[in-house]
Amino acid sequence: MMFKPKIIGFVCNWSQPTTLNSAGTGRIWGYPRIRFVRVMCIGRIDPVAVLETFAKGADGVLLIGCHPPDCHYVEGNLQTEYTVEILKKLIPLAGLEPERVKLLWYSPSEKQSFGQHVKDFYEQVKNFGPSPLRNEQPQSKLMLNILATKNVASDFRLRVLLGREKELTEGVNVYGEHIPKEELDATFDDIIREEFVRHMFYLLTKTKPFSVKELAETVGMKPAAVLRQIVNMRRRNMIILDHVEGTTPFYKALEVK
Amino acid sequence: MTVISCALEKKRKLPPCRAACPADVNVQGYISLLQQGKFKEAVELIRKSMPFPAICGRICVSPCQDACSRKNSDQPVGIRYLKRLAADIEREQGRIKPDSILKKHGEKIAIVGAGPAGLSAAYELAKLGYPVTVFERMPEPGGMMRYGIPDYRLRKYVVANEIAYIQDLGVEIETGVEFGKDITLDTLRDKGYRAVFIATGAQLSSKLGIPGEDLHGVFHAVEFLRLVAQGKTVDIGEKVAVIGGGNSAIDAARTSLRLGAKEVTILYRRSRNEMPALPHEIEAAEEEGVKFHFLVAPKRIIGEGTRVKEIECLRMELGKPDASGRKRPVPIQGSEHTYTVDTVIPAISQVVETSCLPTVLLDERKETILADSLTLETKILGVFAGGDIATGPASVIEAIGAGKRVATSIDRFLNGQDLHAGREEETESVSWVKDWEKITKKPERYKAPQVDVGRQSVSFEEADRLLSQAKELATVEARRCLGCGPCSECLLNEGLCDADKAIVDETLCTGCNVCAVVCPFGAIKKNERGVAQVDDLSCKGCGICSARCPEKAIIMERFTDDQIRTDISYALKKEFA
Repeated sequence: MMFKPKIIGFVCNWSQPTTLNSAGTGRIWGYPRIRFVRVMCIGRIDPVAVLETFAKGADGVLLIGCHPPDCHYVEGNLQTEYTVEILKKLIPLAGLEPERVKLLWYSPSEKQSFGQHVKDFYEQVKNFGPSPLRNEQPQSKLMLNILATKNVASDFRLRVLLGREKELTEGVNVYGEHIPKEELDATFDDIIREEFVRHMFYLLTKTKPFSVKELAETVGMKPAAVLRQIVNMRRRNMIILDHVEGTTPFYKALEVK
Repeated sequence: MTVISCALEKKRKLPPCRAACPADVNVQGYISLLQQGKFKEAVELIRKSMPFPAICGRICVSPCQDACSRKNSDQPVGIRYLKRLAADIEREQGRIKPDSILKKHGEKIAIVGAGPAGLSAAYELAKLGYPVTVFERMPEPGGMMRYGIPDYRLRKYVVANEIAYIQDLGVEIETGVEFGKDITLDTLRDKGYRAVFIATGAQLSSKLGIPGEDLHGVFHAVEFLRLVAQGKTVDIGEKVAVIGGGNSAIDAARTSLRLGAKEVTILYRRSRNEMPALPHEIEAAEEEGVKFHFLVAPKRIIGEGTRVKEIECLRMELGKPDASGRKRPVPIQGSEHTYTVDTVIPAISQVVETSCLPTVLLDERKETILADSLTLETKILGVFAGGDIATGPASVIEAIGAGKRVATSIDRFLNGQDLHAGREEETESVSWVKDWEKITKKPERYKAPQVDVGRQSVSFEEADRLLSQAKELATVEARRCLGCGPCSECLLNEGLCDADKAIVDETLCTGCNVCAVVCPFGAIKKNERGVAQVDDLSCKGCGICSARCPEKAIIMERFTDDQIRTDISYALKKEFA
């Protein structure tokens, strides 16, 4: 049987009716396998929502917003660009192709090319094949990966920087310094790498108590590096000591109600 | 709920376009609807505030466009064209016939004059459930909209269609009834009418007051346009001089061209900058070949026998500004010169026909009816007057505004309420745009097609294509609107903006200020307690703050994270074809 991808399209409230209408009446593209979710502004979509969509088994995610100067909320849609940049960094960690996410600007005067873009995206996702997360069990390695990325995306450290990205790269910070985009990108990479490992450990220890050695084996890291993260996580109240077997301490995730 | 909270604000905050409109038309609301291609809903929304979308879409002086915030960046949004297109699409695709409104009140109301003021008052009163009768002297209702504005600007069937809508609501219009002759205030009272609204307008042209004005070949603009509108033949000859610089002067000039005049000249005593006519009308007249002579005033009209032969004029120069703010023209002595003409059309102003009115009602100068500007009461209890008859010649939209105000007054009068209480509400025009540099310039403007396709008929396919093209252009133009006011109160929350609002959970907020940075409208600020606070009036519910909040302390009222999560699950579970 031929593979038919499941694609979720997030549409902004202000481009939604015209998007669907003009593409339909223009007989360009019937959107056979795309389901749309309406939000007020495409900037409303945070990375967590997209990652969650993948976790639920979607093969591709399309973000459709109005052209930047057309935004009903002035520059709300520009926030989506930052969201997508972060997503392209996060998705590979979960074992998915970053091209499974696409941001499209829609303008009612460009329905012809818009339909073509949607079609191209559909074909691209089709070529990637089904998402490996489609029929995964909740506790599998891949599932843990995507959940860890989701936690990274909802982490304070990433989000506080993400919210200020526009301010920092386009203007200056409180000390009057201009931060180049590359520098901020490197910071993002650091944050994502560190936080991903931490949240991975957190999710693993949530299932059962782990020793440092076990953790190192599971994720394929050096035990010393794992221990450094464990110390850090204990300081942040993410993890606690569960019990000691012989001389080996076992750690368990601290669940916050 | 949000909508009501906006409306109950003591000082109503309105977008600039709506604050500028004398009839309080919800401009921002219907432009938002047009942004989404909802043409029928847009017309319905306009009809909530006034009954003439198609007429105003053609001939309104559009104070809304003059007030539009967009002009600070490039050009105002083409509000009038958009309204015209929406109304035209609705009419051509079959106007929805409204149900006649149940007459829950017994008090009969008489309205004298079926012009814009009278008809909009009738419309509002009929919506309130009063039995209304409109008396009109001319054979057809419409007033100046039918007999004063030439056909090329406003087709008769457009007027007829809008009036038919009012009649469908249950308003009765009796034509051929003259006030002062067939009916008077006394006979109306005897017939059981509890309130009378006099809105007969300013139906007479002002006289020039110069020698030779009664010669054959002098037509005053209003009478001239009325004769043409009635389909009567007017012999204007080949050379026409129109005196004046207002819209009716331009109308008279362009009509003369259409009647076969070879040379039409407009004589205006000030310069072009002071002309009160609409700029696009002046341009259109120029394109059609109307000549303009500025700083010229007529001194006398010279006849040959009983027929006009020449007009003698004086040159003027501009002096100090007068009461209207325009520079006063001062004649230059000895600058007499003549133009050879067949017809002279004075179009300087209009006056109220006071002969049929009871003298009690008139003001000291015996020119207009003395009426309260807010409630439109006159000196006689139960008699109201508004529109041109009370203000002197003005625009259609101002007459509509007067009609709306009088409807409220009459309703209160018949219910024995205070006519003044709470009427003078303060309005404030607000706009969130602080920095115009940041706004992207989008100078392209949609213009309603002025000419027909050129052929008598088009195929269905062509018509369909033209229509969808027009709709697309209109949507693009509507998107130039910045939506700069607060909640537009389009009253169609479902599906338009959902009236979403951000709510801050203060126990979770850490005061990181990310929300204040991302909010496009500056609606969130940290308050003195160090937590984020949302300004309800400025918040437009985009939800960007909620998406960016590091602590998830901001939740949206309707599009919550849970809601989006449910939507995603539902979309994924649905059977993929």
